[in-house]
Amino acid sequence: MTRKEIREHILQIFQKEFEIENPDLDDNLREKHEFDSIDAVELLLQIEKMLGSELTQEEKKQAMDIRTINHICDYVETMAKARGIDVSRD
Amino acid sequence: MERRVVITACAALTPIGRTKKDILHSLTHGISGIKPLKEDGLLSSHIHSKVFGTIDYPIEYDFKRSFRKTMGPVSFYACQAAGEALEQSGLDQQFITSGRLGVAFGSTHGSPTVQRQIYKTFFSGEEGSVRSIGAVDYLKSMVHTTAVNITKMFGITGRVISSSTACTTSSQSIGFGYEMIRYGMQDAMLCGGADEYDTTTVAVFDNLLACSTAFNTTPHLTPRPFDIRRDGLVVGEGAGALVLEEYERAKKRGAVILGEVIGFACNNNGGDLILPNLRGITETLQIALRDAKVSHQDVDLISAHATGTKMGDIIEAQAIHDVYGNRPPVMGLKSYMGHTMGSCGAIETIIILYLMEEGCIVPTLNLTDVDERCNMINHSMDVRPFNIRLGSVQNFAFGGVNTNILIKKMDG
Repeated sequence: MTRKEIREHILQIFQKEFEIENPDLDDNLREKHEFDSIDAVELLLQIEKMLGSELTQEEKKQAMDIRTINHICDYVETMAKARGIDVSRD
Repeated sequence: MERRVVITACAALTPIGRTKKDILHSLTHGISGIKPLKEDGLLSSHIHSKVFGTIDYPIEYDFKRSFRKTMGPVSFYACQAAGEALEQSGLDQQFITSGRLGVAFGSTHGSPTVQRQIYKTFFSGEEGSVRSIGAVDYLKSMVHTTAVNITKMFGITGRVISSSTACTTSSQSIGFGYEMIRYGMQDAMLCGGADEYDTTTVAVFDNLLACSTAFNTTPHLTPRPFDIRRDGLVVGEGAGALVLEEYERAKKRGAVILGEVIGFACNNNGGDLILPNLRGITETLQIALRDAKVSHQDVDLISAHATGTKMGDIIEAQAIHDVYGNRPPVMGLKSYMGHTMGSCGAIETIIILYLMEEGCIVPTLNLTDVDERCNMINHSMDVRPFNIRLGSVQNFAFGGVNTNILIKKMDG
């Protein structure tokens, strides 16, 4: 898995699940795209599917401060590594 | 402090249309909204009653995803009707978000479609099925989902009342909204109810032998309130929303006033949760008259609950006779669209307003041979010009809950 693949997957999720098209990677999702706490929980379900493994409650709590696509990619990368999935940079 | 409360807007989605013109056309041309029950892959094949009051016309919703994401079908109906009513009311955004506008809106049990999906997922046996229940599923399905989706969509910050008393849900919404304004707690209330297409409700009534089954191949011939051939109710879907407003405020801003709510009654039979109760219902009608400070002789028209069940219609006819004699015409509007459950009180109130403005009354559909046990009242048997100055909307629910709303035509 590469960082680029993670980003593309996340952007696909945003397009399909949240109808947010091509957000800037550093957009504040809450302020600019009305991405709220309900969306965040839905996103975590999608990330679990992406990783093929369940996130712990602690891991989920770590995601609650996420504000941008880049933050989400960082988070997925960290979670992937914690599961022994190799993530290479672009 | 007791203030006057008027209705300044209304909108409905019903099995017989969604605009005033369409609804009146159906009512004055005897057009039924009862259709064959749809196959749902779960309950429909086990249900004896094969009819449903169905909204089968397309509705184009223009809701952003940020609103849609917490809405089940029932909230789509509710928000659509509420939005149309708010727009018609002409209330400005500053007032809508001021905290002086509240919401009284409910449904029978939230969104059964979403609840069904939750259980389907839960019992699928697939790994991780519990986790795949979405975070928003509760928000979509909860009992007060209609009320809070309305507050979210329109930024309403006032009181929230979310009745869930089955057939009296939206008549309670109107009544409680009326009391909020009358006693100065709010200056306006967006009131109503909605219920979506749902075979669970049909199954419940079917098991209680309360559903119509004899007209499965001729849906338009049922339900038949007060008729000798009636064989039960027909469940339906729909939504109704009304804007109630304090009279002086409405007058000052030049609002179109459709009618005035002058009385409301709500009581309980205090006993059996299913059987109709003559004493309880009679008392409801009397309380409403006292609340409105009018005589039974002032009421020109009665919209009866009239579901088409064997006993319910007889008891209601007796109660009407005990209070009103055989003078005011009595209509059973469910004969056109079935029992739209949580929305019926609002829809029937809206129809009274339409008929008031139109200056006519309509017959109870399918009432061709009045059951002699219901024959002591003045049944409306045809379309005819009629000046409705004061109309009564009666609703009674499982649980022994009874309501009665009295609506007055505005002078001038």
